[in-house]
Amino acid sequence: MTDKRVEEKVALPTEESRNQSRRAFLKGTAAVAGGVLFTKAASADYDPKKAVAPYAGKKEITEPLKDGPWRHRLGFGVRRYPYGQPTPEVSYIQRRTLEWLTPDSMASITMTPLQYLHGIITPNGLHFERFHGGAPSIKAKDHRLVIHGLVERPLIFTVDDLKRFPSISRIHFIECPANGAMEWKGVQLNSVQWTHGMMSCVEYTGVRLSDLLKEAGIKLDKARWIIPEGADASGMSRSIPLEIAMDDCYVAYAQNGEPLRREQGYPIRLVVPGCEANMWVKYLRRIKVSDVPLQHREETSKYTELMPDGTAQRFSWYMEPNSVITYPSPDFKMQGPGRYVVRGLAWSGRGKVAHVDVSFDGGRNWHEAHFTSPVLDKAWTRFEIEWDWDGSEAFLMSRVTDETGYVQPTMPEMRAVEGTNNVYHRTAMVTWRVHAWNSKNKGLVENVQY
Amino acid sequence: MFSTKKSLIAVAVAATMAAGSALAMSSSSGGKATEAAAGKTDGKWASNYREIIKESGGKYLDREVMEKILGKDVNSLRAKLDPNNPYSFEVDDAIDGGPHGNSQCKVPLAFTEVRDSAEKHEKADYVAYGYGKPIAESAIKPWEIDVNGDGDGFPILPDDKYMTVEKGGNVYVQFCGMCHGEFGEGAKGYLPLAVDEDLVTSDFRDPAPMKTIGNYWPYATTIFDYVRRAMPFWSPNSPAIGDAGYYGITAYLIQANGIPLDDNGRELDDEDKATPQVVMAANKYMKNQGNFFCDHRPITHNKRCMKDCPDYLVGDGAGDIHHYREARKLPDGTLQYNVNQRLHETPPGIGHKGF
Repeated sequence: MTDKRVEEKVALPTEESRNQSRRAFLKGTAAVAGGVLFTKAASADYDPKKAVAPYAGKKEITEPLKDGPWRHRLGFGVRRYPYGQPTPEVSYIQRRTLEWLTPDSMASITMTPLQYLHGIITPNGLHFERFHGGAPSIKAKDHRLVIHGLVERPLIFTVDDLKRFPSISRIHFIECPANGAMEWKGVQLNSVQWTHGMMSCVEYTGVRLSDLLKEAGIKLDKARWIIPEGADASGMSRSIPLEIAMDDCYVAYAQNGEPLRREQGYPIRLVVPGCEANMWVKYLRRIKVSDVPLQHREETSKYTELMPDGTAQRFSWYMEPNSVITYPSPDFKMQGPGRYVVRGLAWSGRGKVAHVDVSFDGGRNWHEAHFTSPVLDKAWTRFEIEWDWDGSEAFLMSRVTDETGYVQPTMPEMRAVEGTNNVYHRTAMVTWRVHAWNSKNKGLVENVQY
Repeated sequence: MFSTKKSLIAVAVAATMAAGSALAMSSSSGGKATEAAAGKTDGKWASNYREIIKESGGKYLDREVMEKILGKDVNSLRAKLDPNNPYSFEVDDAIDGGPHGNSQCKVPLAFTEVRDSAEKHEKADYVAYGYGKPIAESAIKPWEIDVNGDGDGFPILPDDKYMTVEKGGNVYVQFCGMCHGEFGEGAKGYLPLAVDEDLVTSDFRDPAPMKTIGNYWPYATTIFDYVRRAMPFWSPNSPAIGDAGYYGITAYLIQANGIPLDDNGRELDDEDKATPQVVMAANKYMKNQGNFFCDHRPITHNKRCMKDCPDYLVGDGAGDIHHYREARKLPDGTLQYNVNQRLHETPPGIGHKGF
C-alpha cells in the first residue's frame, strides 16, 4: 500500500465517510481479497493538492476547445414535442424481449433496461410490460369498478369517482415473479436487462383499497379474501388474502404523475406493494370480497413453484429481498485497473432495505455499500461502493439484508432447497465474473453462476 | 391433518437443506406452545413470539430471532406445514375443507408488521364518502364469471342444453386444437394440456417436467373458470362457444387427462353429458391436489457474514470460486453471445436475437 493511495482515500466526500462502511475503514480495517486492495483512510481533512494526485503523469490536452454548430444557431422551439421524447442519441435505451421466450407478443413480456437507468424511478416508457391477452385501449369514461360479495352494499365507481377519494402516492417496485426465471439451471444471458429486467419502480397515486372496501361496507367477520379481476381479454384474476388487502394495497390511476399507461393498466390497476406483479391486476373492473380463494389458473397451474420432489408451493405472494450490481455488469467493459464506483439496486417485498454488502471474491469477504437514494418501503434502493480494481480476475456479488433481518441467499443454497424447476422467485445472488485485464478477454464482464 | 405424501416430502426437503447448507436441524412436530419463554426448544415454538419480534425491532426473519421462536429448526419446511407455527402460511385443513376442499393459505402470524397494519386499517373508523353508486348483485351477474374451487359460480343450464363429451371434443378441436393439439399434446410452442409426466426430478440438468391439467392442476373447476374467462386466446369468453360449449371443452379435457370421477376410477364416456356435476366429481380426484402446500418462504436463512466466510457460503457452496457455469448455448442456438460487443470491439448491441 503506497502513501499516494492513502491520500486518495482521504479525498472522499464527507457524506460518504458518514456511512457505516466508511466508519469501518476509519477504524483501520484493511482487507486484501481476491486481488482487491482496500486502502486505509487516515484523516478526513481536505487538501486541494490531493486532487492532483490521480492526474499525475496523464497527458495534458493543449488543443484549444471548439464550439459545436449548436452554439451558433437556434435550437427547436417549445411544443415541437408536445409530449417530450428522449434524445435520439439514447434510442438504444429500450425495453426489449427475447423472441424465444413466448410464442406470441400478446401473452409475453418485455424487460426494463436496468443497466442504463439511474436512481430509483423507471420512466413510464421503459416500464416493463407483461400481457396475458394484449394491452387493451380502454377509455376511462367507459370503465367501471365494481366492489361486491361480502359487503353491506355493492358499489360501482367511475374513474372520476375514484379520483374524488383521499389519495396516496407511494414509490414501489413491481416485479414479475418470473424475473430471473431463465437462470435456474445455469446462466444463459449476459445483461441485467435479461436477468433482472422484469421489474420497474415508479410512483403510483391512487385510493387506499381499505377505504374502498370500507366504503362498500366490507363484512370483516366473514371476509377472508378479495378477488380482483381485470377488464382485458385475459380477465386476469388472483386471490389476495384480506391481511394484504387491508395492509397497504391501493387502486392506482396515476404512475409517475401522469395517468397510467395502457401497458400498465389504464385506466386503473391494483397496487399490491411487495407482492408478485401478477397480483397487481390491471384494467381492474371488479373486486369480489369472498370467504374462500378462487383457485384461478394463475395461482394453480401458473405462479406456483414445482419442487424437486414433485410437490409445489401455492399462494406465493411476497417477493423476496433481492439485489444486483448494475455497474459494472455484462453490458459494460472494464477500462483498465483503477478505481470504480460499483453501483446497483436492492429491494425487498417485505419492507425497507437495511444493508447491501458487496463481495469481489465470490463471497469470501464482504464490504458494506452505502445508499445513494432515499431508502423507501418496498422500493428500489440504490447502492454504491468504491472498488480499487488491480486488474486481476474478480467475482462480484451483492447481498441484501432487509429490515426484517432476511439475508439474501447464495444460488447453491437456494438450489439445494428449491431445485431448478421452480420457474418463479429465483431471488438468490448473481455473480459477475470480471476477466483479468491481462487475459484474452481483457476486462470482459460475464454472468456466471455457482 | 396433512396428506402423508406432503409430510414425507417435507422431511426429504429438510434433509436436502441440511446437506446443502450445513445448518443444524432438529425434528419438530406440530402443536401449540403452552409455555412462554424467550428461547423455546423441544420442537415447539414460543407463544410470546410477538414480544420477541418486538424486542428485535421487528426483525421477524432474522435468523437469531427465528431461532429464539422456533428453536434451531428455522429451516424446517415440515414445521412450517403446521398451521400453528407462527411462520406457517398454512391454514388448517379442518377450516379449509380437507385435502380436496378449496384450500387456503394465510399471512403468517409472525409477519407482525403486516398483521398489525391490516388490523389498524380494519379497525379505524370510516365514514363513507358516498362517491360511488349502489348496484344490484343481479346487475353484476354478467361480469361475475368466477367459479371457485368449491364450484360456486357455475352457470346452471336447462338439462337439454348440456352437450355430450364427444360433442365437447368437437368444440375443442374446432376452437382449441390448433394451438394445444387435438389430444391436448401441445402445438406451435403453446402448452400441452394432457401429457402425463412425472413431476419429480432427480437431476437438475434434466429438462423441466411438463405440467399439465392431469399431472399438475389441483382443481378441475379451474379448467372451466379459465377456459371460459380467457380462451380461445384470440376471442375469449366467446358467445360462439357459450356456457354449454365451455362445459363441453372442460369435460373433454377431463376425459383426455384420464381424471377419474369416483373411487372406482370411472372415467368419462363420450356419451356422458358435460355438466357442472361432472366437473365437481373430477374436482375430488385431481391426483396432484395433495402435493400443493402454501408458500413456505423464506426458505433459507443466510448469515450476514462479512469476513473469511465459511465455505458453504462461498462460490459453489464448497468454497471454490472458480467452479462456475457460463452462458454457453442459448435456446436460439447462439453460443456465448455478444462477446465482441461486450468487449467494445463492435458497437453496442442488443444481445442475441433480442428485439
